Amino acid sequence: MAQDGSVKVESVEALSREADLLKAKLEDERQKLNDVTLSTVAERLEVINYLNIKPRRVLKGHQAKVLCSDWSPDKRHIVSSSQDGKMIIWDAFTTNKEHAVTMPTTWVMACAYAPSGNLVACGGLDNKVTVYSLSLEEDVSTKKKTVGTHTSYTSCCTFPNSDQQILTGSGDSTCALWDVESGQLLQSFHGHGSDVMALDLAPSETGNTFVSGSCDKMVLIWDMRTGQCVQSFEGHLSDINSVKFHPSGDAVATGSDDSTCRLFDLRADKEVAVYTKESIIFGANSVDFSVSGRLLFAGYNDYTVNVWDSLKCVRVSLLYGHENRVSCLQVSPGGTALSTGSWDSTLRVWA
Amino acid sequence: MDMMIANLQHQRQITEQLRREAAIKRITVSQAVQDIMKFISEHEQEDCLLVGFSSQKANPFREKSSCTLL
Repeated sequence: MAQDGSVKVESVEALSREADLLKAKLEDERQKLNDVTLSTVAERLEVINYLNIKPRRVLKGHQAKVLCSDWSPDKRHIVSSSQDGKMIIWDAFTTNKEHAVTMPTTWVMACAYAPSGNLVACGGLDNKVTVYSLSLEEDVSTKKKTVGTHTSYTSCCTFPNSDQQILTGSGDSTCALWDVESGQLLQSFHGHGSDVMALDLAPSETGNTFVSGSCDKMVLIWDMRTGQCVQSFEGHLSDINSVKFHPSGDAVATGSDDSTCRLFDLRADKEVAVYTKESIIFGANSVDFSVSGRLLFAGYNDYTVNVWDSLKCVRVSLLYGHENRVSCLQVSPGGTALSTGSWDSTLRVWA
Repeated sequence: MDMMIANLQHQRQITEQLRREAAIKRITVSQAVQDIMKFISEHEQEDCLLVGFSSQKANPFREKSSCTLL
């Protein structure tokens, strides 16, 4: 509405002019507050000169590429999903397989444990997200329930704070929040211009914020209640494969096909670090923080896991072992171990 | 006509999104970095992958002892 009460006629030209002005203003504001770099402030910190992280377990059983994995809240079990169409529940202490479920599709690209540890969800090229309830007495595959369906593949899923809801990301460029019981779509999230590859919830238990990363090279921050995108970050030069909140909740890390990992601060509204090295030329598929946030683990297409000092922005260690791309990795709840999954069809636990 | 309305709606969404983002309160990078560093220093001692385990017994994935009960 214009000041005089008459209805202002919007035109594409006027809107687009305003958009350009806003973009310039945004860039200007961000630059004004860009007074230091993270690595210079971190110079005074002690160098991390020794990490005692060793390979501890190898989980063998998948017949093809491992695509996704998730720790159980009990810090002992792991769910993994694979190109072979199987989802496996592992006891990571003993390396035993407790359940193996065959999905009606290959490329099961997403899997997740529910907060109770009693349910797992998975999905992939079937465009669906299916929930299985875990019990030792019965065959898990008989206790399944399809909760949601996208119009393209399901790339990622997670339970936000309870067993009652699932948040999914998809090749249809949207994210969606589903009610597990009714299968109802509670909220959909439109904003990405290409396939959504990853999402992560803000660490606060009452948090209603999540982050998504996409092949449109954008990182978006969402309000789960309103469905609105509240912040966006540019910077990556290629597909974003992984996003993860810093344990403080104030920043997100990303891994990309452009071979870099980056850190974006929500309150400075800006990229604050790039984790890169001349010798690293392969894409980063998966990132996660140690519990303090000081270490950033990243799994790459060159079969390695690089461990970054998130503050000094230097690599502090390399974990060798996998014989193909490292497709997924995750620090266990409590932070005592790191799991990695690979196209070599194995998972490994490091501690 | 439909095309024009679709274009207008699309551009309106883009502009409205930018308006929202332009209205965000921001802090300086130095302040943001200080806060991240403070969080890390307060939690570094609990970070087993960073500082190691107080004893190997505390590591749930330690190698099994070679001694076995007969």
